[in-house]
Amino acid sequence: MTATLETTVLSTVDTAVELAGVRKVFGHGNSAVVALDGVDLKVKPGEFVCLLGASGCGKSTLLNIVAGLDGATSGSLQLNTSRPAVMFQEPALMPWLTAARNVELALRFAGVGRLARKRRALELLELVRLGDVADKRPHELSGGMRQRVALARALASTTVSADGSPALLLMDEPFAALDAITRDVLQSELLRVWETTNTAIIFVTHDVREAVRLGQRVVLLSSRPGRVVREWDVTDSSNTVLDEINTHLREVISGHAV
Amino acid sequence: MGTPSDTIDKVGAGLDALDVPVEAHKPPLWRRFLKTGVPPIIAFALLLGVWQALWASAILPEFQLPAPVNVWNELVRSISTGEAFGILWTSLHRAVFGFIAAVLIATPLGLLIAKVRVVRAAIGSLLTGLQSLPSVAWVPAAILWFGVTPSTIYFVVLMGSVPSIANGLVAGIDQIPPLLPRVGRALGAGRLASARHILLPAALPGYLAGLKQGWAFSWRSLMAAEIIATSPQLGVGLGQYLHNGSSLNDINMVIAAIFLILLVGIGIELMLFRPLERAVLRARGLTGAL
Repeated sequence: MTATLETTVLSTVDTAVELAGVRKVFGHGNSAVVALDGVDLKVKPGEFVCLLGASGCGKSTLLNIVAGLDGATSGSLQLNTSRPAVMFQEPALMPWLTAARNVELALRFAGVGRLARKRRALELLELVRLGDVADKRPHELSGGMRQRVALARALASTTVSADGSPALLLMDEPFAALDAITRDVLQSELLRVWETTNTAIIFVTHDVREAVRLGQRVVLLSSRPGRVVREWDVTDSSNTVLDEINTHLREVISGHAV
Repeated sequence: MGTPSDTIDKVGAGLDALDVPVEAHKPPLWRRFLKTGVPPIIAFALLLGVWQALWASAILPEFQLPAPVNVWNELVRSISTGEAFGILWTSLHRAVFGFIAAVLIATPLGLLIAKVRVVRAAIGSLLTGLQSLPSVAWVPAAILWFGVTPSTIYFVVLMGSVPSIANGLVAGIDQIPPLLPRVGRALGAGRLASARHILLPAALPGYLAGLKQGWAFSWRSLMAAEIIATSPQLGVGLGQYLHNGSSLNDINMVIAAIFLILLVGIGIELMLFRPLERAVLRARGLTGAL
């Protein structure tokens, strides 16, 4: 039992992503683990949604399914976007390529011509303020800079579609491995990029503060199996919402105590 | 003064400035020479000194341990008569042709073993086993199959170097962090594009190590083949020269031949493989071993 998932690209523009009843089971028989169970989720074009949950809630699995890296066991996924871009916790840059070449690689896979590639890569590096270090290799950059190159590369792979369908960026705890100050800077950087590119973002995190700061909407997932517990609109985030989400997250986690 | 986003931008710029690793400045040429060039010269001089002293003490008879100066004279003789160049050419062109053929065979073979599970299960351990089989062991069989001809020599060279190169490539591919091909898939790379733009470049350091070892194996296999398989038809290579020295009980010639064999080995390593390896590793920031 693997992918019985239909991926359809709709022409309506009010939803970028729609998941309905997505279920994912790893393994078979007695050792089977239900990672996701009946997850429904809608993301509007240009919307910033944070998926929040403790470890084991299947948030990365959900992201991989949307990215097409993994198939769901059942349920449906509708994508009304160009090819989704993915950013991981590690920058995962090709160590033998310069920053610019790393961004170009994404465009190359999308069949963009040489000159256009060069121009676009530099544009995107300027967007994340790394135009000056386009010729540096990953090992010559700091962790935060590498993650910004990865962001530029992700944007390169999602904004190339010619038909003008909205872009989608999937981020799997991209700032979790960074120090606090760098994380703070990158969060504001991401918000700036999001506002200028109008890309829909699904951002996976286990940090409530991060989720509330970045997202317009926070979706709390339960653990084993992952289900949508509750959603909050956090456009005008206040401390009460933060506390409320925290309380719910703690409840979800303490439910697993033996 | 400024909006909050300005402030955070400044923090970001400051972080970038602080975070960029400081490039170590290169020491001047004479100092680098002092560090890397002088020690081997001193070691060589010491070795010569010990040799000279041993010879002077006359513990071993002259036909077993020659005077360094006699070996030197033999070298000068063979070089001044042009004999040395002919010998070197005979062996080197065989080694180079053999090595190139080995690369052409081993590269697709390595790719197959690394990426096709059945092939790996079938011949993966055989290939590793072949590496531990001294290629001299193939000489008797090769002589029976091909006679004392160049084919025998090339066969032995190939059996020596193909496993090393293929294994190096397999190891290089096995050591690729799984996240890299995954990123490739997320970026929309097909199988071929992924192989060309991600797998092969990522496996390059391991492949290069395999090439280096493959060259060493093809050179020593060639010497073994030349020493055993000698005939006028094959001409005089370094191995034949060494064999002749032994037949003539001429220890000067024997030591001179060994010296020349070593010289080629060290020369190729220093002129070809080391710069190549350095360039590849440095580009990836793997400078720890350099």
